[in-house]
Amino acid sequence: MEKRVVVGRVRPTWARNLPEAREDDDKSEQGIAVMPHSEPPSPTDTWEQHNKQDDKYDVFGKVMLLGDSGVGKTCMLVRFRDGTFLAGNYISTVGIDFRNKIVTVDGLKVKLQIWDTAGQERFRSVTHAYYRDAHALLLLYDVTNKISFDNIRAWLGEIREYAQDDVVIMLLGNKSDSGLERAVRREEGQRLAREYQVAFMETSAKTGLNVEAAFAHVARSLVAKANPVDPSRMAVRAHPTQEQHSSCPSCS
Amino acid sequence: MASSSKDSFPTTSNQENPPDELEPGACYESILNPTDSFEEFASEMSSSLQERNILLNTKSSTIHEIQSEIGESLKENTQIKSTKSTDDLQGKEESMTASTSNSNLIDQSEDDTDNEKDDYLQSPELVNKEKHVFILSSAGKPIYSRYGNEDKLAGLCGVIQALVSVVEEQNQDILRSITTKDCKAVFLVKGPLILVAVSKSNESETQLVLQLTYAFNQIVSVLTLTQLNRIFEQRRNYDLRRLLSGAERLIDHLLIFMEKDPAFLLGAVRCLPLPEKARENITSAIQSTCSKIRDLVFAIMLAGNQLITLVRMKKYTLHPSDIHLLFNLVRSSESFKTAESWTPICLPKFDSTGFLHGHVSYISEDCQACLLLLTVQRDAFFPLSQAKHTIAEKLRRSNCLVAINDALNRNEELPTTNPLKHIGIPEIRHFMYKCKSTAQLFTSDPISLDKLQDYRIRHKEGGDICEKKVEKLSDIDYVRNYRQFCAQIHCMSTPAKLIFRSNSHDTILAWITHGFELYVTFDPLMEKDQAIRAVDRLLKWIKREEQRIFIMHAPTF
Repeated sequence: MEKRVVVGRVRPTWARNLPEAREDDDKSEQGIAVMPHSEPPSPTDTWEQHNKQDDKYDVFGKVMLLGDSGVGKTCMLVRFRDGTFLAGNYISTVGIDFRNKIVTVDGLKVKLQIWDTAGQERFRSVTHAYYRDAHALLLLYDVTNKISFDNIRAWLGEIREYAQDDVVIMLLGNKSDSGLERAVRREEGQRLAREYQVAFMETSAKTGLNVEAAFAHVARSLVAKANPVDPSRMAVRAHPTQEQHSSCPSCS
Repeated sequence: MASSSKDSFPTTSNQENPPDELEPGACYESILNPTDSFEEFASEMSSSLQERNILLNTKSSTIHEIQSEIGESLKENTQIKSTKSTDDLQGKEESMTASTSNSNLIDQSEDDTDNEKDDYLQSPELVNKEKHVFILSSAGKPIYSRYGNEDKLAGLCGVIQALVSVVEEQNQDILRSITTKDCKAVFLVKGPLILVAVSKSNESETQLVLQLTYAFNQIVSVLTLTQLNRIFEQRRNYDLRRLLSGAERLIDHLLIFMEKDPAFLLGAVRCLPLPEKARENITSAIQSTCSKIRDLVFAIMLAGNQLITLVRMKKYTLHPSDIHLLFNLVRSSESFKTAESWTPICLPKFDSTGFLHGHVSYISEDCQACLLLLTVQRDAFFPLSQAKHTIAEKLRRSNCLVAINDALNRNEELPTTNPLKHIGIPEIRHFMYKCKSTAQLFTSDPISLDKLQDYRIRHKEGGDICEKKVEKLSDIDYVRNYRQFCAQIHCMSTPAKLIFRSNSHDTILAWITHGFELYVTFDPLMEKDQAIRAVDRLLKWIKREEQRIFIMHAPTF
């Protein structure tokens, strides 16, 4: 029941930030800016006020990383944001972590507000609360861990239940660099992705393979969604597959 | 210890402060619940079977109280519903991860034949440890073991469960402890869990119960008592490890933390020594930024297991044991260092039935102070995130970050960095002081972060009993020595007021009054009157520096 209450608050924020829509928005936002303390504003409101001041962007999107514990969600994010790999020590996320990064696709600046979630079961209720505001979900499994792959169906079920209907979903098979330990073949991932009609890539946070590509794909999808008449709208599934072939020796 | 002599003599009036003056560190209002560290655990130990059951079921919810006070009755309703929906999910998630745990268990049991299981108790992983802690469900399912693999300890857990339930059912009594020549086993049954400590250290039974209670509270802190009880009501044979995955680390760290930090022994909180002005600035920066955020219950700033400041909602104070759990959470979660986090936290003493939601972040890259903003509102991340940035900015402008860093790095010029040198009583090797009314603690050689790291590494490798003589005693070693004195002072039947013990290694004085507890280690063979004079000077120094070493205000929003 509760989820409906919050869904009502969600607005397509990315659309309002497009260049042509922006001027009116700035004005209306000014009006709100006086009252953030008198009444707790909805998450999205505050976020925009806060960021209007520091940086400019054309499209804005909330991205969440999901998947079982230990599949490499945090590593993926750190690789994407800082270009480094958290080697050696396993840092399990507590609750959800928050970071953001601006990427440029097709000349547009896309601000990605990225939520990194704890994979552990006991945090599920917290992460659910944040699904519904997300515009894109990156769903990860570990190619060396069959169970994490098997759980993807359950994850997708939850996503269907809790997330917005038009959410961008992308399935990622992480740790693709670990040659012999691999337990899930690339074709299995592809088949599952096709079944659920979501985009698919194999990634490696360790080598950086496809990490940029995955986030770029998400950014592009958000742009396309925000501006459906855009003629440059790309073929969602074709793109990652191409890159996969060119740059992933272990799975060809 | 052959030459040790123990004296208990009545305190004469000239040793005590004049009645109109407060003891060092005391103030009229406290941010913390003043506690007698042992009262509660002693009562835990003497409660009967029926009382135990009643206690667990009568808990009121502070969180709901706050929510309704803010006039958010609507929100409250959704809150209740949301916990309900969470439950439904659990069923679903069970099917999702059931395969995980099942397959693990199957693998394990295939590995072991019965013979190997017997041998496992003799394996180097488990033998010769100073202290073991086991946690199991009342159905006998292993949940946690400090050392070794709890899957392989299923047999041992069965034995523990049998011991506990035989005493309970046949004798209508509670099994509290088993003592052998060199070893104590202490049992604590709390709700659906059985906790056991097997120790060869010099800790008393009460001190071990205290540690087990902390371990239990740590579990409650990640699940809430309500959820914990409900899970086992629904399925008595539930494997709790599934919900605790990732939290074993918290229990590991907590157990190590308890061994090295006297804060647990005394039920008090350490404060980061700061100039009065700096602490005032920090507090007012938090107050002015957060005063309009209505649902904020506590704003806590801490660094290196020490409290910098705590601003609270009027009427509510925090129990030291809840703060210790927060310290432990921050210390053992590396992920907080890299990003802003939003996490549910249950504070068992504050309200064991529900979660507070915490915004956790480090103030800046160049300052190890961590800010926790705890609220009853589950979607307040963004207002709190904004508040945090404002606070960080204010602190930077008022140079507070520098003051914090100086204190953390133990800058030589600060009087509190090396208090013994500053006081100028060469006979004193170490002291530990607790102000009872404010539940705050000060020791002469607070362990620095690097030392703590060393200790952690050493303990990861073993936790084995070692007889090696240490050249220079650290804070940890002194505190280890105080344990038995602490136990005597807090003894339920014949509590001592003052203990003076002198031998060829050292002289130790332990003294408790209505206002404070003090433990001092002197050079060996000190005279009694000489020691009393030194203690007098020591107390004067603490009184003079109290504004620096303690938090003397109890600010509210």
